[in-house]
Amino acid sequence: MKVKSIIKFIPVAVMLAFLAAGCARDTDSSVQAPAAKTMEKKTEADVYTGPIVGKSNKAKTISITVGKGAEAQTMMVKFDDQTEGVEFAKKGEAAIINWEQRGDDKFATVIKPKLAKLPEGVTEIKVDELYQLLEDQVPMTLVDARPALRYNQGHLPTAISIPVPLLKEKKAEVLPEDKDKLLIFYCGGYT
Amino acid sequence: MSTSNAGLAKKLGYTNVRVFLAGEPAWSEEGYPVYASKGFVEKGNIVLIDLRKGDAPVKGRIPRSVQIHYEQLEERMDDIPRNAPVVLYSDNMGEAQDAYEDMKEEGFKTVALVKGNYQGWVESGGAIETGPIYSNEIKWVRKLGKGEVSVAEFKKAVMGDLPDTFVIDARTPEEIKELGIFTNTANIPLDEIPKRMNEIPKDKRIFIHCSTGARADLAYRELIKNDYDVKFLLLNISDPECDCPIIMPE
Repeated sequence: MKVKSIIKFIPVAVMLAFLAAGCARDTDSSVQAPAAKTMEKKTEADVYTGPIVGKSNKAKTISITVGKGAEAQTMMVKFDDQTEGVEFAKKGEAAIINWEQRGDDKFATVIKPKLAKLPEGVTEIKVDELYQLLEDQVPMTLVDARPALRYNQGHLPTAISIPVPLLKEKKAEVLPEDKDKLLIFYCGGYT
Repeated sequence: MSTSNAGLAKKLGYTNVRVFLAGEPAWSEEGYPVYASKGFVEKGNIVLIDLRKGDAPVKGRIPRSVQIHYEQLEERMDDIPRNAPVVLYSDNMGEAQDAYEDMKEEGFKTVALVKGNYQGWVESGGAIETGPIYSNEIKWVRKLGKGEVSVAEFKKAVMGDLPDTFVIDARTPEEIKELGIFTNTANIPLDEIPKRMNEIPKDKRIFIHCSTGARADLAYRELIKNDYDVKFLLLNISDPECDCPIIMPE
């Protein structure tokens, strides 16, 4: 793979990069979603946290996935002019929705973006810096953590595919031998 | 998540771990290219475009490709389904890159390049096809996603030709007042579905539509959670493909 082949680009303002919801959604949706009937009573919490499935301005509703894997459920809440932070409910991004019951309906009161927490000793890299590293052919292993289909459809130059479940299973076997070499992970970002 | 991967790598003793949080979408939105895997170019349900000029494709092309010289791309853009994954190749990296950016700007969601262009494909041992080209027509058919009903089956239901089927229009009453409603269809707006569940029969198959499919998708998730046998229509209902009978407002 030649990094040199990226010969031009649009110099655009630095992207706002504060969320990393895409992978969570990708992996969760690969699992059969609706399962737990036994969960019914337990979902009465008044905060939903997870990736936004969709928002309809016409119906004034937001759907959000709560829970992981087989226990994942899509919950629907309404919103109105009083709801704070409706702009943070964007399809594919993780959000925290506080809601309250009003009659038969659940209404969102405050919506906040859920920020990704980086593990200790791990730093974030922005798009322009990554581009420059690839352009300069800095030795690194770039890992696409999305499901294989997404990798196959289109991945970054030089990237290898290691979906999250594979890394969990095979661990260091699928990673480079040299543990001091730069290792960068990415996934589906925010769409 | 890439962050949990990074945490795991750190635990395994990797010392120089970073995360590109914005991910692939941020990369491609900047106009930086992404590359399709070889197997996907060979077998994926894609529109594969050969951007080269003249008779280059006659001498050798990637099987299944359609020739659209870069200069004609703008004209032919409307022949390419917007929701199709598109893969491009050329013999000129500049043109492939320009075409990639043009298509992203046009609103194509999944666009990728062939690694190393046509030369790279040949060098990687990829199969080629030679000889005359008889058709440059784009024949791409979307495969139904999870929970989707085909337009044909949906149409049957609203025509009343599919017994034991209950069709829901998830649009607002205001939209229906203005635009009408399909025959054999009940109106339950998306936001009222949770509290009007008792109006939706459990012993029938449910089809849901709205204006584009976005609300129908959300309504589908709400019903599947409540154990309904349900499918939704992912189609703009003004699309001529639907052509379903409408009861017009008075």
